[in-house]
Amino acid sequence: MTTAHDQHDLLARMSLDQCVKCTICETHCPVMAVTPKFPGPKFVGPQAERYRHGDSVDQSLDYCSSCGTCTLVCPQGVKIAEINSQARAVMKKNHMPIRDRIISRTTLLGKVMTPIAPIANWKLSLPPVRWFIEKLFGIHRHAPMPKAGSRTFSSWWKKHTPPTPTRGKVVFFHGCAGEFFEVETSIKTVEVLEFLGYEVVTPKQGCCGLALQSNGLFDSARTHVNKLAQQLNIEPGTPIIASAASCAGMLKHEAREILGMTDPTLTAVGTRVRDVCEFLLSLAESGDLPLDFQPINQTVAYHAPCQLKSQGMGLPALDVLRLIPGLTVIDSEATCCGIAGTYGLKKEKYAIAQAVGKPLFDKVIEVNPHLALCDTETCRWQIASSTGAEVHHPIWMIHQAYGLG
Amino acid sequence: MTDTIVIGAGLAGLTASIRLAESGQAVTLLSFGEGGLPLSQGTIDVLGYVENQPVRAPFTEMSGFIKAHPDHPYAFLSSTTISTAISWFTDQTAGLLQPSDETNHFVPTALGAMRPTYLVPPSMVFPDVPRFAVVGIQQIKDFSPGLIAENLTRTANIQTRPYWIDLPARPGEVDSSPVHYAQALDNPDFLSRFVDKIVATIGDEDAVLLPAILGLHTDAHSRLTEALQRPVVEVIMAPPSIPGIRLNNQLVKRAKEWGVRVVLGSKVTGFTATKDHITSVTLHQAGRDQTYSGDNVIYGGGGFESGALVVDSYGKVREALFDLPLAGADRLDLITGDYWKPQPLFEVGVIVDPSMRVVDPGKPKKPIYHNLYVVGGLLAGAQRWIEKSGDGIAIASAYQAAESILGGDRS
Ligand SMILES: Cc1cc2nc3c(=O)[nH]c(=O)nc-3n(C[C@H](O)[C@H](O)[C@H](O)COP(=O)(O)OP(=O)(O)OC[C@H]3O[C@@H](n4cnc5c(N)ncnc54)[C@H](O)[C@@H]3O)c2cc1C
Ligand code: SF4
Ligand code: SF4
Ligand code: SF4
Repeated sequence: MTTAHDQHDLLARMSLDQCVKCTICETHCPVMAVTPKFPGPKFVGPQAERYRHGDSVDQSLDYCSSCGTCTLVCPQGVKIAEINSQARAVMKKNHMPIRDRIISRTTLLGKVMTPIAPIANWKLSLPPVRWFIEKLFGIHRHAPMPKAGSRTFSSWWKKHTPPTPTRGKVVFFHGCAGEFFEVETSIKTVEVLEFLGYEVVTPKQGCCGLALQSNGLFDSARTHVNKLAQQLNIEPGTPIIASAASCAGMLKHEAREILGMTDPTLTAVGTRVRDVCEFLLSLAESGDLPLDFQPINQTVAYHAPCQLKSQGMGLPALDVLRLIPGLTVIDSEATCCGIAGTYGLKKEKYAIAQAVGKPLFDKVIEVNPHLALCDTETCRWQIASSTGAEVHHPIWMIHQAYGLG
Repeated sequence: MTDTIVIGAGLAGLTASIRLAESGQAVTLLSFGEGGLPLSQGTIDVLGYVENQPVRAPFTEMSGFIKAHPDHPYAFLSSTTISTAISWFTDQTAGLLQPSDETNHFVPTALGAMRPTYLVPPSMVFPDVPRFAVVGIQQIKDFSPGLIAENLTRTANIQTRPYWIDLPARPGEVDSSPVHYAQALDNPDFLSRFVDKIVATIGDEDAVLLPAILGLHTDAHSRLTEALQRPVVEVIMAPPSIPGIRLNNQLVKRAKEWGVRVVLGSKVTGFTATKDHITSVTLHQAGRDQTYSGDNVIYGGGGFESGALVVDSYGKVREALFDLPLAGADRLDLITGDYWKPQPLFEVGVIVDPSMRVVDPGKPKKPIYHNLYVVGGLLAGAQRWIEKSGDGIAIASAYQAAESILGGDRS
């Protein structure tokens, strides 16, 4: 019997016939560029898929980082990255390393780490501890690890008093990283939205399951997506504003295109999700964004993460940041930072991920070695740990330019 | 926030975007995927063959060509516009293409044919010397020095000798993409090993022919010329094309420098219009549709190869986005049985007035929408790769559309 999911897989699969072997995807794949271990998107995607019946015969598939660049540039609409993700899920079904199961559970990691944050952060930065983790779980000892904050977003949210709203409502979607690890970004997002006059509603929310999906744990990922969609499906018609670009992408299209989910609640939520800068840009376009920014006399590099680029909406953060007087924002022009969710954490892929990110790291250091901007958390950790620069979400700049702190 | 929306990031869309943005317009460029440039030869064709005969000087033959082909896109553009557009375009490439001397260059292909083309990178200029070394690399397929040497001896009347070198771009890789070699040759260490191999292999020939892999981000060609102390020529290969990628990168960079907002990866799937005015186009983004509006729309969607024209199993041809009327679509012999003959199918396309606004073939006087311009591969009436005219059409039509819009703005 074919389920809805199977039928959907067939749809992504069918797009392989559109491949004209033009090699455009190959010339952009950041992994293929740095390692001969990965034969590239055209081969692993549309070409090898023809020979797959169930299990993959070609294990090099696991080196695809799922960054989505190939799908983005393919002029024929071949869903290359999606084909790869689906094939990997089948390939890893019965031999999933315990490591891939652990690092996929972001919420769990956060919950465990928050109360003991200073100790956890201290322990995780100790070489012997990291060496041990590498041996045991295969997480590379130099890979960036999230730093848990000592407060969660919810604990701040409960205590804060919102100003009186002058515009409508918005729902805030912070994701699990925004709850545990990137608390400041969540707070600043809420403060900007409230400054603009919105009434911000933040329902209790779990993880979007992206890390589970990218590690091929599709069933668990679907459970997470479903639950999250239900949690966010309040206040019908209001925009859902996300400060984690990758989680937004999961709800907007990845759950549908990779996990094959067609649930109406998910669709209702997915069509309402806006990346925060995408939202601000649309306000600017309709003349509804106050432009009395305070000048910030700085030059910074901005890196648009793959998962934002794959949403096919351009680079809204860049467009919004350019409205701030004095601020010079240089587009990194880099394809990928290398981390691709949890890819660059793994010991066998750490060196590849570093090589993938090298042009970006060089650019960041060249433009401003102290500060860079990027919209997703894992990419920020990767850039920060490889350059020594502080890396913030673009909302930090907007927050500052509005004089909010 | 947008003055003009450009659809399609091929040669035509990029040209139009750069021209408008450098003139002060706010441009949003929407493109589903990359355009054809990374697959192209990385040179610019204007007119290469007329009646199967190679053309020496395209602009000398242009008026005769236009007279003989009154429905050709070049007939809607004057010879002056085409030449102004081409020389403006040359400047945009920041030295990647060298200024023309009004004649076609003849450059070797990977099959050893000499192909006419108008603008070339300095690395493809074919020197006037008698003896050539043709050097292949064991790890690169589709470049066979023996075949090239033999054919060039016949077609270009020169002396050639084939050689092979054995130097993997990356350890252990036996079949590498040209991109890997180009990236490897950006690295000075690899470049010097490459030079050593060539020096140890070839004889005292006057010039060296190599596959077009000489650096993606750096000018490995100049360094190689210096090190080998004789002219080095890049030979066009099958895609992916390094010279094409260089050109594409440069044009995208130029567009961004002028502030063009590039939205890549989503398809324009619909539009709204009043009677004769496009009010917005709809971009099918992740999760939902988003409308974009601007005063004008330039549509450079390419032809069949990029999905802007589609043909069904009954042979019915349709323009996929605006459902524009097409010229040449009603013939019964759209495809002829003779492979070497021009296929009428490829002449099917959109008809425009001299400002590049779309018109109905039945009523060619009045634009269908006064703010919709069509440029590039979508235009009817050309056998692009037989005539070697597609690049010139793309550049000149895009330039002309931009001028029409800017002219309108000025008045
Ligand atoms: C096999 C072949 C060989 C050729 N050889 C030659 C040659 O030797 N010399 C020559 O001069 N010409 C040649 N041509 C013609 C060549 O296509 C043109 O020269 C030129 O590249 C056309 O450029 P363009 O910008 O119009 O289209 P393209 O380069 O095709 O770009 C079209 C762009 O529009 C985008 N697009 C299309 N529809 C939509 C939509 N609905 N929404 C968003 N984006 C959209 C596509 O993704 C693409 O990026 C050849 C063509 C083919 C097919
Ligand atoms: S870019 Fe698309 S059409 Fe071209 S080779 Fe890759 S998958 Fe095939
Ligand atoms: S998803 Fe990224 S890593 Fe995987 S094949 Fe595509 S471009 Fe390469
Ligand atoms: S992308 Fe965000 S919400 Fe999804 S798993 Fe990662 S941190 Fe959690």
